[in-house]
Amino acid sequence: MKRLSLFTICLIILIGSWAVLRFAVGGIVSVPIPGSVIAMYMGLIIIAILVHISVEDSLFREFLRPIHETLTDNNRRVRRRVVAVLIPLFLLGYTYSIIAQRANPPGSPRDAHPSPPLELTYKDEVIGTMQDVVNPFRHYEKDDPDAFKAHVENGRRVYYNNCFYCHGDHLDGQGHFASHLQPLPANFQDPGIIPNFQEGFFFWRIAKGGPGLPAAGTPWDSAMPIWENHLTEDEIWDVILFLSDYTGYQFRTFGEAH
Amino acid sequence: MRTRNVTLLMLVLGLLYTVMLAHAQNAPEASEKGKEVYEQSCAHCHGTEGRGDGSAAENLLPKPRDFTRGLYKIRSTESGQLPMDQDLFDIITIGMPGSSMPGWETSLSTDDRWEVVAYIKTFYDGFKESETPPRQINLEGKISYSEQSVETGKGLYVELGCVECHGNVGRGDGTSAPTLTDEWGFQTWPANLTQSWTFRGGGDTEAIFKRFIGGIAGSPMPAFEGDSFLHFGLTVAESKRLSELENKDEMTEAEEAESEKFYEKMDAAVDLALNRVEGIELTATEQQTYDDAMKVVYEKSWHLANYVKSLAPEKRPESAIGNNVLRSQYLQGGLPSMDDAAWETLQSKHFPLVGQIVIEPRQFNPTIDSVNVKSFYNDTEVAFLFTWDDRTHTTGDETDETTGQPLEDALAIQFPVKVPQGPTAPKPYFLWGGRLPVYLWHWKASAPEQVTEVTAKGVSNAEVQEAQGELQTQSVYTDGQYKLWVKRALKTEDKKDLQLEPGVFVPIAFSAWDGANGDVDTKRVMSSWYTFVLEPVPSSRRFVYPPLIAILSLGLLFGLRAVVQRRNA
Repeated sequence: MKRLSLFTICLIILIGSWAVLRFAVGGIVSVPIPGSVIAMYMGLIIIAILVHISVEDSLFREFLRPIHETLTDNNRRVRRRVVAVLIPLFLLGYTYSIIAQRANPPGSPRDAHPSPPLELTYKDEVIGTMQDVVNPFRHYEKDDPDAFKAHVENGRRVYYNNCFYCHGDHLDGQGHFASHLQPLPANFQDPGIIPNFQEGFFFWRIAKGGPGLPAAGTPWDSAMPIWENHLTEDEIWDVILFLSDYTGYQFRTFGEAH
Repeated sequence: MRTRNVTLLMLVLGLLYTVMLAHAQNAPEASEKGKEVYEQSCAHCHGTEGRGDGSAAENLLPKPRDFTRGLYKIRSTESGQLPMDQDLFDIITIGMPGSSMPGWETSLSTDDRWEVVAYIKTFYDGFKESETPPRQINLEGKISYSEQSVETGKGLYVELGCVECHGNVGRGDGTSAPTLTDEWGFQTWPANLTQSWTFRGGGDTEAIFKRFIGGIAGSPMPAFEGDSFLHFGLTVAESKRLSELENKDEMTEAEEAESEKFYEKMDAAVDLALNRVEGIELTATEQQTYDDAMKVVYEKSWHLANYVKSLAPEKRPESAIGNNVLRSQYLQGGLPSMDDAAWETLQSKHFPLVGQIVIEPRQFNPTIDSVNVKSFYNDTEVAFLFTWDDRTHTTGDETDETTGQPLEDALAIQFPVKVPQGPTAPKPYFLWGGRLPVYLWHWKASAPEQVTEVTAKGVSNAEVQEAQGELQTQSVYTDGQYKLWVKRALKTEDKKDLQLEPGVFVPIAFSAWDGANGDVDTKRVMSSWYTFVLEPVPSSRRFVYPPLIAILSLGLLFGLRAVVQRRNA
C-alpha cells in the first residue's frame, strides 16, 4: 500500500478533529459546542501542525511536495483541474450562504432569578429585610402539626384557584395556559428551584409578579400577575408552605448550623 | 346447517371478545393508596366526594367530571355503556386536550394511575352492580381514508344535521352552538373540528369514530346508535334521499308517503335499540334488523370520521416563537386586498392565545384559540391579514352588567411605539404597555370597516389617537371565522405611531375578545410578546461577491502555479 503523504495526513487530522468536535463531542457526548470554541481548538491544531512541519527543512519540503506536484507536474493534470474547479466552487457557495442568510431576531438575555430588593414588602407595608424574613407559619410544622396542615390545605386551595393554570396541576410548570407564554412559568418540581431560594424570595416573586422584577428579569415579558392585588399576605405564605409540602423540597434557610 | 353457522359465528365472536378483553387491562381492587393519590392530585378539581366540585372547579369550563353519575365522555364502549377501565386509565395518562385536565403520565406512576382508576369507580355504584362487562366498539370494519369516503362523509355531515352545532365547515359555529348545555346545566361549546388539537379524546380517525358510535356522555353530542335524529336505521342512500325530500319546499303526496316510510323504518330500528338497552330480548328477525341498522351506523361513522379528519391539520401549527417569526414579504407594486389570491402563496404564522388572568376582570375559560397572520409589504406600505375562529358573531347588542360596556367580538394588535434598540433595551409591558407606551390597532365587530389607532400605557390608561384614518381596513365573518385585513403606510407623520423599516425586529402581541363568552375590557384572550419583521429583500450583492471571490481564488491558484514553476525552473 502506498504510504499517505504528510500533506494528506495533516488534512485528515484537520478534518477529523473538526468532525469529532462538531458531531461527536458536541452532539453525542454533550450539547453542541459553540462555533467560536470549535474555531479556537482548530486554531490550536493548525498551529501544532505548522510547528510540526517546520521543525525540519526536509519535513517542510515533504509537506509541500504534493502541492508542488499538483500545481506543476504534468502527470497530475487531472487532479489539478479538479482542484481548480472545487476550490472556487466551494468559496462561491460559502460566500453566497453567508450573504443570503436571513437575519434572526436577537435572543433575550433574560435573568430568570434576578436579585431581590433588600426589603420585603406587602403592598407598601414593610415585612422585614429579605435576608431575615421567615414564613410566619413555618414554625407550626414542629409546634402544631394540625395548624400546619390547615395552612397547607389553605395553600392548596389558593394554588388550585389561582396558580395551576400556568404552573400546572403537578406544580411542574405545565399548566394548560403555560405552553403559550414566554417566558415559561416556573417548574417547582425542578430540584434547582425551591432548594435554592428562601421563602422570602418566593414571597417577593409572588407578591410583585412580573412587573416587580428588576430590568435584568425583563419585567415587560412575564405574565406573572401582581398577586398582592388578589391575595392576602397570609394566603401568599400559605401557598408557599403548600409548594414545599407538595414537592417535598425544602426552601433554603440561613439558620444556625446543625 | 344454519345452527352450525350460528354456533361458528358465536365461537368466533367469543374468541374476538376474549382477545379484546385481554388487550384492555382491568383496574385493581380499590385501596387506600388510590384514595391517597386521588386526594393529593385530583380532589382539588373533582372534589373529595368525586362530584366534580373541588375548589378549582368554579373557574373551569369544561367543568371537571362528576364521577357520581357514571357518565364518561371518552369511551371505547357503545352508547349508554360504562367505560372500560382502560378508557379511564388512558384519560388519566393522556389528559383531555382543550380542557384543564392534564396528562399524568410523567407525574404519576403506572400503578398509581391504576389505583386512581379503581378509586374513582367507587364513586358510582353502577360499576359494582353491572354484571356484564361493557360492550366495546368494534373497530374492525374500518373504511380507510379516501377522497371518496371524505365526500360521502361530507354529505352525511349535512344530511344528518351535524351542521346545526358544528357549523358549515366545522368551526363549531352552528346556529344552536351558543344554546348548548351539558347534563349538569353548564354551558358547553361544540368542538371546532378544524382544531384537532382541542379534541378531548384525541384527533385520530379511530378516536373520532368512537365518539360517533358511543356518543360523548353527558354532552349534547348524540350517539348514532338508536337516534332517529341521526337517521338510525337508514342506509347512506336513504339518508340522502330523506334529506333531499325534507329540503323541498313542498312535497307531493308520493313524496310524503316515501318520507313516511323512512320514518317508520327509523322508528322500528330505534325501538329495537331501546329494547336492547332495557335488556328486552330480541327475536331473530328483530336482531337481524338491529344488526343491519348497526352495520350502516358503523359505515356512516367511518365516512364521517374520515371527513372530520380531513378538516384539521394533524396537530397544532408551530407557534411563531424563536426564529419562526412573522416575516412580512416584500412585493413590488400594489399590495393585495383581502380577497386577493396572492395571500394563498403565503404560509400563515400561528399565534396561540391564552386567557388573560393577570388583571381583573379575568378570563379563565377562553373560547378563542389562536390568531393566524400573514403580511406583505412594498416600498411604502404594509398589509396584514389576520384570521381567527370565533363560534359566534357578536356585535355588541348586549352589554356587560359589571362594566356597562358592550359585549362584542374584537381584535387588538399591539406594537411598541418605539422599537427597543438592542436585546437588553426595555420593551413596554406585554399587556397594553406601562411606563413605556404601546401602539394598538383596535378592531371591533360593531364597526367592522374601521380599525382605531390607540396609544396605551396600561389597560386603564388607553387613549384613542386624535389623528385617525391612516389605516385601511376590510373584514368579514364567515362560517365561524373572522378575517381582518389592515393596510398602513410604513412611515406616518404621527409621532405616536410606530414607524416601520425593513429588517428591524418589532415586538408584536395580540388581544382578542369573544363577546358571547363574556369577554369585555381585560376579560379577554391575549398573547405575550412575539416578533415581526419586514423581511429585507435579499441583497443583490449575493450575485456579485460570490462569483468575484471564486474568480479571485482561481486567479490565485494560477498565480501560485506560476510562482512555483518559475522557482522550479
